[in-house]
Amino acid sequence: MALNAKIPEGLLKDKWQNYLNKTNIVNPANRKKLDIIVVGAGLSGGGAAASLAELGYNVKVFFFQDSGRRSHSVAAQGGVNAAKNYKNDGDNVYRMFYDTIKGGDYRSREANVYRMAQVSVDLIDHMTAQGVPFGREYGGYLSNRSFGGVLVSRTFYARGQTGQQLLLATYQAMMKEIKRGTLTQYSRHEIQDIVVVDGKARGVIVRNLVTGEIERHSAHAVVLGTGGFGKIFYLSTLAMNSNGSATWRAHKKGAFFANPSWTQIHPTALPQAGEHQSKLTLMSESLRNDGRIWVPKKKDDPRPPGEIPAEDRDYYLERRYPAFGNLVPRDVASRAAKERMDAGYGVGPLKNAVYLDFKTAIEKLGVDTIRERYGNLFTMYKKITGIDAYKEPMKISPAAHFSMGGLWVDYELQTTIPGLYAVGEANFADHGANRLGANSLLQASVDGNFILPNTISNYLSNEIRTGKIPTDTPEFDEAEKAVKEQLQKILSIKGTMPVDQIHRRLGKIMFKEVAMSRNEKGLKWAIEEIRKLRKEFWTNVAVPGDDKGMNSELEKAGRLADYLEISELMAVDALDRKESCGAHFREEYQTEDGEAVRDDKNYMYSAAWEWLGGEKWKLHKEQLEFKEIEVKTRSYK
Amino acid sequence: MNLTLKIWRQEGPEAKGKMVTYKVSDISKDMSFLEMLDVLNEDLATKGERTVEFDHDCREGICGQCSLVINGQAHGHESHYTTCQTHMRSYKDGDVIFIEPFRAKSFPVIRDLKVDRSSMDKIIQAGGYISSFTGMAPEANSIPIHHEVAESAFDSAACIGCGACVATCKNSSAALFLSAKISHLAKLPQGKVERMERVVWMVNAHDDEGFGSCTNTGACAMVCPQEVDLLDITRMNYEYNRALATVRS
Amino acid sequence: MAYKKGLFKTSVGRKNLMAVTGLFIAFFLIIHLVGNLILIIPDSWFPIEFWGGVESAHDMYNAYSHFLVHFWPITLVAWILYISIITHVIDALLITLNNNKAKGDKYQVTDNSTSTWYSRNMGVLGTVIGLFIFIHMAQFWLKYKVLGTEHDLYELVVTTFKQWWVVLIYEIGIIALGFHLAHGVESAHRSLGAYPKGLMRVIKYIALCFSIVMAVLYAIIPIIIYFK
Repeated sequence: MALNAKIPEGLLKDKWQNYLNKTNIVNPANRKKLDIIVVGAGLSGGGAAASLAELGYNVKVFFFQDSGRRSHSVAAQGGVNAAKNYKNDGDNVYRMFYDTIKGGDYRSREANVYRMAQVSVDLIDHMTAQGVPFGREYGGYLSNRSFGGVLVSRTFYARGQTGQQLLLATYQAMMKEIKRGTLTQYSRHEIQDIVVVDGKARGVIVRNLVTGEIERHSAHAVVLGTGGFGKIFYLSTLAMNSNGSATWRAHKKGAFFANPSWTQIHPTALPQAGEHQSKLTLMSESLRNDGRIWVPKKKDDPRPPGEIPAEDRDYYLERRYPAFGNLVPRDVASRAAKERMDAGYGVGPLKNAVYLDFKTAIEKLGVDTIRERYGNLFTMYKKITGIDAYKEPMKISPAAHFSMGGLWVDYELQTTIPGLYAVGEANFADHGANRLGANSLLQASVDGNFILPNTISNYLSNEIRTGKIPTDTPEFDEAEKAVKEQLQKILSIKGTMPVDQIHRRLGKIMFKEVAMSRNEKGLKWAIEEIRKLRKEFWTNVAVPGDDKGMNSELEKAGRLADYLEISELMAVDALDRKESCGAHFREEYQTEDGEAVRDDKNYMYSAAWEWLGGEKWKLHKEQLEFKEIEVKTRSYK
Repeated sequence: MNLTLKIWRQEGPEAKGKMVTYKVSDISKDMSFLEMLDVLNEDLATKGERTVEFDHDCREGICGQCSLVINGQAHGHESHYTTCQTHMRSYKDGDVIFIEPFRAKSFPVIRDLKVDRSSMDKIIQAGGYISSFTGMAPEANSIPIHHEVAESAFDSAACIGCGACVATCKNSSAALFLSAKISHLAKLPQGKVERMERVVWMVNAHDDEGFGSCTNTGACAMVCPQEVDLLDITRMNYEYNRALATVRS
Repeated sequence: MAYKKGLFKTSVGRKNLMAVTGLFIAFFLIIHLVGNLILIIPDSWFPIEFWGGVESAHDMYNAYSHFLVHFWPITLVAWILYISIITHVIDALLITLNNNKAKGDKYQVTDNSTSTWYSRNMGVLGTVIGLFIFIHMAQFWLKYKVLGTEHDLYELVVTTFKQWWVVLIYEIGIIALGFHLAHGVESAHRSLGAYPKGLMRVIKYIALCFSIVMAVLYAIIPIIIYFK
């Protein structure tokens, strides 16, 4: 099967308009005959559910949390980008497109990125109208901050809780639609499988997490807005229950998985403090606007940070990247931190952190300004570590954060299974090999609110005569049977190894060899280890209880079973890509001073993997063409 | 350190629950409270016993999914913390810790420490939104909003919907949660159009869901992880009275 | 607007009713106090020119009480007061019943450090006050105004307060009243929606001062009479 990205004709700036001009739409009277299932209630899924319901489709939204307001979009802190150019600093759609492509190290699809920059402008209007209390200037107009990887201020923010505020607006829009009767929500329901009938996605099998019942739901189209799978590293900035199961099960039903190995390691998370730690809390990247990152010049400097004079400090980002300084993109910042820590300059009891210092900013701007900008982050830092960051520098460390990879989608956000769409972090489209800060809220929101409602109609316009999809067909029977068998299999093992312990071991393998820096030997080793661990899981996992009611261990085991397969594909993908680009840094391909070396001749493609069963995948290449941007070596020096 | 935990165990909504005693050992000061429960659950799983069900997700204090009443206080003894932000450094060796679910008629226990908070969704469904459809919005800067107004609206909007206010309220009132949304939207010009219908509908929904009446003891604001101001409740009362006194022509 | 449930049927509406009636009763307390302070005016202050050269507290108090009983606007206010008290009580019962219904199972451990005991126990304090009002009215209002068996109210008051246990009952009732006011006056303003931050700060301060002043002045009357 050849990949067809269905990129519309015309100049880059006209493509989206050309698409909208020609796409098929559905008559309002026919929309209520069409069912859509949305999985996930975050910014992308929730936005899609609300927007599609507003249009009059029959929408069902499924999520495992107890309320849509919990989805992990809630945790995004810093902001959302938009090319509004309110600052008169030379920003425009093209520059935003350029920054995103460059930030993604020329590994994203030009047309998609340009479209994202175009609709970013509408998103701010939309969210403001929904009541998002964005930060304001004293004149009453919207305020902006700058973010890593760019030279303009285009990031809109609501203190350090921008994700929360956007998510709540989206959640409220869903609640509005539930009241109107166009949307039905299924909380505490976890997706178990996608049902494909005659090659089209026609429904899902879900597990009611409260009663344990397995339910069938049919629809004319299925939308996955299920986020990323960074929790595969166990220690990550993701929520405990974030998972890759929905996308993975779609993959096993025929959807191609693209660039799975590209995981963003966020430079400013809190360092691990102990073995049982379950989570690395993120400190927003926006802190790098005013904070300066450094390590002592002397190894194991015993002095407290406040007593180390400026000449004994190594502001390594400012030293290595004078043009962008502390605002280099995340992959660069993380790798630079890793380099310092590996060289033995790390700080903190486990030597696994670097300092993020606000002293200069507090002296210049005053403590009140800093408090207003980052107050909640400083409070959060204090709550977790017990340290007052107004007085001494924060200790930060890189942590797994965002999955640039995901289900392969075309320009319409449709996967390789007709009728199955992926939005937000669940797809792979817009960020290339590295995502710029504040672009994830943007992508998730515009995918759900502005793009999908306009593209899904093209598919649904052919479904108006289909009628209700029955759930008593062999395809549903088969899918349900497989789901039940897997649950029983997990429960029947009755081993001695709790799920979290296996997950922690998987995380260690992944963080060691399939994270910030990779090499052939390590990746091969990782694949072996993952296979061993998978075997151990299926023979020795300890899942107590039954499937008749709520059973968190069973939920976790199901997710881990998928992680144990995704992890292998991640390593396979990383092994295949013999170049360094963005977050994917292969040690074999670097310059003498440790900068990444891209291979545009051989690897200017997105790797879309087709599952062949067992431990085998087939690679499909989507060649990337850059017609309106000059491909250059990414440099932030 | 070694601790004794007394945890509420309850099979299902209809079942009778009871406190069960557990011992955990080798708990380090750096662990969060929930990581301490993870340790207990790993121990139980190894022994083949059903693990303790508790709600949690983001573990950084923003999603609002974690709950628990620890030694009689919603989200533990530190004010304005969520349970996931509570760390073990504030406990000492040999402590006995009582762990119970959030309790209110409107929060029925699902299993063990997990409760059903969908009644809060119902309150928002009644009107906790601005009825602006995707695509309708005017240019964002066409409505200037004073810096202080935006900041104040944010203070109310920061509510994470965890339900600690209800759990701690002697009347099981959700007034703080309810009023945070009403205040957030009433403060902003975008929200003013529907302010009257919103407050009446939401207060009605609050009562229909079986929450109690606020008696202004202020306990809710003391435990609120986002420090939502008690004055939001006052603001809601104002909005309600204003709506009752107003006749739309 | 058809969606309005009626003024006093919602949780917010019921609290409004509590607030309005409570504040009216609190206002009455001021008037009531002013009259009763006559009881403790020292003899050395007499005769008082302003009160038509009245000779003694005895005469002055009886003149005042006669005026109250025979001036019709005061009767009207009195009826509003009776209705307020009854409404306040019934509304409180309704709210309490409803709140009890909203409660889940009891916690095994409760930690009440997040609120004051008197704000949590307004019902208990109110019951004490209610019993006190009952005794108080049986002693004076019933005998003087309704049955008309006593004509010298001053004499009645003074002889009543010469019994130590009556003084004790009054002190208990007044302390309960003080705490009830300490939460009630502020809470009433909150229920009515006095939301601006600065305003609420002033109200909080005034409410606290008010409850202390009321409680202290009411409390000293029986004691002074007892020792006089």
